[in-house]
Amino acid sequence: MGADIVTVSTDTKFVHLAWKKSEKELANVRYQMGADPTGKVARMFGVYDENTGLALRGTFIISPEGKLLNAETNFYNLGRNIDELMRKFKANLYMSRKPNEVCPSKWRDEGDKTLTPSAQLVGKVHEALRS
Amino acid sequence: MTATETTRVVRLGEVVPDFELETYDPVRDDFGKFSLAEQKRKGRWTILFFYPADFTFV
Repeated sequence: MGADIVTVSTDTKFVHLAWKKSEKELANVRYQMGADPTGKVARMFGVYDENTGLALRGTFIISPEGKLLNAETNFYNLGRNIDELMRKFKANLYMSRKPNEVCPSKWRDEGDKTLTPSAQLVGKVHEALRS
Repeated sequence: MTATETTRVVRLGEVVPDFELETYDPVRDDFGKFSLAEQKRKGRWTILFFYPADFTFV
């Protein structure tokens, strides 16, 4: 897919191993499972809950240059939509190749309508999205 | 890092300071290390996916 996915919780790598091996839902999991028992990394991204010692459901996309391009956090009780994460990742990948273009809300994949901000686009987004 | 030491939260558009995490790598079935510095060196995209705890729903 072009990105390295790392899942992170405040569990240790030993617990990650035990969970991976016991939970059948994780049978096909291939990504690295990161251990952040001190919460240092979770704090860095603003998702450490000081009251519980746990990390909230935060998702972050970091470019090859190390720039933080996307941040989204859900509270404990709401799962994430992987299709939306993939949409955001594909859009960031596309825009890294086409830095003059932007991906509107309905952009889903390569070939979909993008916008190129310019003086001509001001007040004409409606027309541009339907051209 | 001590509890009193404050960590500044990274904002969108900023370069994330280098950090490392110990990992369990299911593909190799072994422990390993994730390093953001190495990702930058190799020119790789990274998606960090935080969740509250193992043995809960993700």
